[in-house]
Amino acid sequence: MSEKSSKQVMRISWGPQHPMSGQVRILIDTDGERVLNIIPDIGFTHRGIEKILENRNIVQGVVPIERMVMVDTANIALSYVRAAEEILGIEPPKRAQYIRVIICEVCRILSHLYGFGLAAEACGGYPAVFLWSTADREPFLDLMERITGTRWSYSFFVPGGVYADFPDKIKEKFLATLEYFEERLEAYRRAWFENKIFESRAKDVGILKPEDAIRLGAAGPNLRGSGVALDVRKDEPYEVYDEIDFRVITQPEGDSYARLMVRYLEMVESVKIIRQAIENMPSGPYRKFVSPLKRLPKGEAYSRVETARGELGVHMISDGGTKPYRIKITSPTLRNLYVVSQMPKITEVLLADVPVILYSFDPWYLDADR
Amino acid sequence: MIDMIKKLFQPFMVVFSHVLKSPHTIKYPYERLKFSPNFRGRHLLDVKKCVGCGMCARICPNNCIVMIEVEKGKVRLPQINLGSCSFCALCVRYCPHGALTMTDLVEISTDKRENLIYPPMKLAEPPSIKNVLPQLKKELTVQVTRSKIKYIRRKI
Amino acid sequence: MVSLNEIITSVMNFIMLNLKFFIQVLIIPGLLFILLFVTFAVWFERKYLARAMLRIGPLYAGRISGFLQPIADFLKIFTKEIIVPSDADRRLFYLAPMLLPVIQALTIILIPFAPDWVVFRGSGFSLILFFAISGLAPLFPLIAGWASNNKYTIISSLRTAYLCIAAEIPLLLSAVGVVILTGSFDLIEIVEAQSKMWFIIPGFLGAIVFFIGILAESERVPFDIPVAEQEIVFGWRTEYSGILFMLTMMAEYIGLLSWSLLFITLYLGGYQGPILFGMPLVSHMFWVLVKLAVLTAIIILFRTVFPRFRIDQAIKIGWKYLIPIAIVNIFIAIIVKTFFPSII
Repeated sequence: MSEKSSKQVMRISWGPQHPMSGQVRILIDTDGERVLNIIPDIGFTHRGIEKILENRNIVQGVVPIERMVMVDTANIALSYVRAAEEILGIEPPKRAQYIRVIICEVCRILSHLYGFGLAAEACGGYPAVFLWSTADREPFLDLMERITGTRWSYSFFVPGGVYADFPDKIKEKFLATLEYFEERLEAYRRAWFENKIFESRAKDVGILKPEDAIRLGAAGPNLRGSGVALDVRKDEPYEVYDEIDFRVITQPEGDSYARLMVRYLEMVESVKIIRQAIENMPSGPYRKFVSPLKRLPKGEAYSRVETARGELGVHMISDGGTKPYRIKITSPTLRNLYVVSQMPKITEVLLADVPVILYSFDPWYLDADR
Repeated sequence: MIDMIKKLFQPFMVVFSHVLKSPHTIKYPYERLKFSPNFRGRHLLDVKKCVGCGMCARICPNNCIVMIEVEKGKVRLPQINLGSCSFCALCVRYCPHGALTMTDLVEISTDKRENLIYPPMKLAEPPSIKNVLPQLKKELTVQVTRSKIKYIRRKI
Repeated sequence: MVSLNEIITSVMNFIMLNLKFFIQVLIIPGLLFILLFVTFAVWFERKYLARAMLRIGPLYAGRISGFLQPIADFLKIFTKEIIVPSDADRRLFYLAPMLLPVIQALTIILIPFAPDWVVFRGSGFSLILFFAISGLAPLFPLIAGWASNNKYTIISSLRTAYLCIAAEIPLLLSAVGVVILTGSFDLIEIVEAQSKMWFIIPGFLGAIVFFIGILAESERVPFDIPVAEQEIVFGWRTEYSGILFMLTMMAEYIGLLSWSLLFITLYLGGYQGPILFGMPLVSHMFWVLVKLAVLTAIIILFRTVFPRFRIDQAIKIGWKYLIPIAIVNIFIAIIVKTFFPSII
């Protein structure tokens, strides 16, 4: 008769006090084991980065913005620096662009490894893959330390180039690390992707059709996991991506297994990109000096960069002072969280599927909150 | 059917081969990783080179550096608040005479916030790891080969 | 008035007369053995898991390999405060974790460690008695989950109920296969009947079904659905702290011990093995311990390799796949017993 007797809705708070939730509170309305509604509640890590950036000039501003996504810092710093260079009207030298591409691709590998490990943990506590992926980040962090001086939050990009040169004696160590990493990718494939129980847990779970992915606004590997081939590095090439030969990875199925597979294959592509960039790096200057105390010309710039989670855009408006007037950042995770919240309306979601779907979208709440 | 059995047994072999490898974690504080020469740890001030221009104080994004007077008649020297420092090394990169450098000491923890404000004379002392970690015996460097990661241990 | 001397002598006489019973209940297969097994299993799990993850594991407690780490944790738990939620049902909240290890340990008294070393013979029906007692075990997670007054715990206790029902029937059916091969319900006679060939060879399908059933019944990976840490914090154990938490953790390992011992008795030949040094009692116990160590190591190994199932997939496996295989196993057992009675 009344709606209350046909289904009894229980609201669970998959909340911040939870071993696997991250810094978010997700309210799940369930009826037994079936999920009726997913409501994300973000804002726990809001730090006001856009306001902070209004009080920093363009050299100091790289420091707060790269702490927005700690695990993938170079891509975010790159978008800020490119917006500043567009306002100033300068172009960095070629060697600096190659160095930037190498560091950005290494950050993409690091971020995908981290997201991988978390997805393995979310599918049911497969602790081995989680810790192998954390251990495999170590050689890359060691390389980054030798080039930039620290393991993450590099503060290495500056409008006009990079702060220090790429040391030539690192090349052998870089290539040895890349070979080691390719062996490890094989181990992941054999232990994780060809694991029967993981397949039964992640295949046909959270299917996102291509029309729905475009309509709801998914970003990054989640969009490419549904078969839509959109990548900023190919559509609007920046830095030297138009001189490097690589493919855009897509998978047609659209379930959680496909999204994780896209991330895995993107790591393989990144290794190829880094190898080409190291070989073809020209010699020359690595920095065009720009004084941080000079006034910026009036203008507006918008730069788009493909981070590991999707497309990130920085819109910078300058009114003639030393510091930008307003900066607006569009973050990929906020859009992906919207797709997750619409999932129960598109397909059938069980309570045990919620962590699997959520972590196959690879959310990082610090850039949803900014 | 064969496919299913292969997918059930293959992970066992891969995981078991990891048990036979040596572990990745290190026994801190008896061992410590050796960092590269341009690592960004605690600052080190060269008092002879500093001219007191204040560029480091102007470029710091978190406003941690204050130029204070140490001796009457001599130049002012920087005082750094390591509690709010983000170790971005902008002060090192923009110092015109190279007076500020960064060492590889990261163990600067104390139990009072005021002790994290380093006056210039404390910044000028070179750091010594043995004072902070008296049980330290070995130092490790990482060596990557095709199949595994090795640690080369050296006594200090 | 009876004097103190007479009381002491009568008590000593009683102990001397029933010395064997007291050793059985207190040492092996009794209290000391169970506690040592739990300690060793916890240490082995942490150390093996750590090595598979390229870590070191417990290192500093105890000079070599941290083997005193479980004892250190055991002593630490006594200093923690027991927090009871304000809306919880206090009596049931305390009762459930106290009774659960006891019920699961009660089934160990039926397992024979030697032809004349069993605590309770069970008058010829010890196999049925084992299943009857262990059938009570799924009741206590239900009580604990309901008494905690928490949404996570209620979901988890319902999942326990579904899982244990789906797992019990295949276990019973494969035990029926063993009974057909032997001809009696007594566990000592089942072990004696395996003197020529262990039952894992003619009853191979039944052994597979029983093994998967053990994983489901004692809630080990890949069936640790009631304690799904990624979705429902810690299942029905969420609200427990201090000594009650330790009792729930012990219950998991005691359940593992009792079902592993039953698997060894039914399929792996129990205490059968070559006699060492002419001491039959000690060597029978030694072979039981060796088989127990190997089986427990294999079950603990599963945790590093597999993620966990969803509840509907686990129930589907139990009802759709395991029961037909167990029935086929019964047919094979009947054929072997009728036409080839000399090979078993």
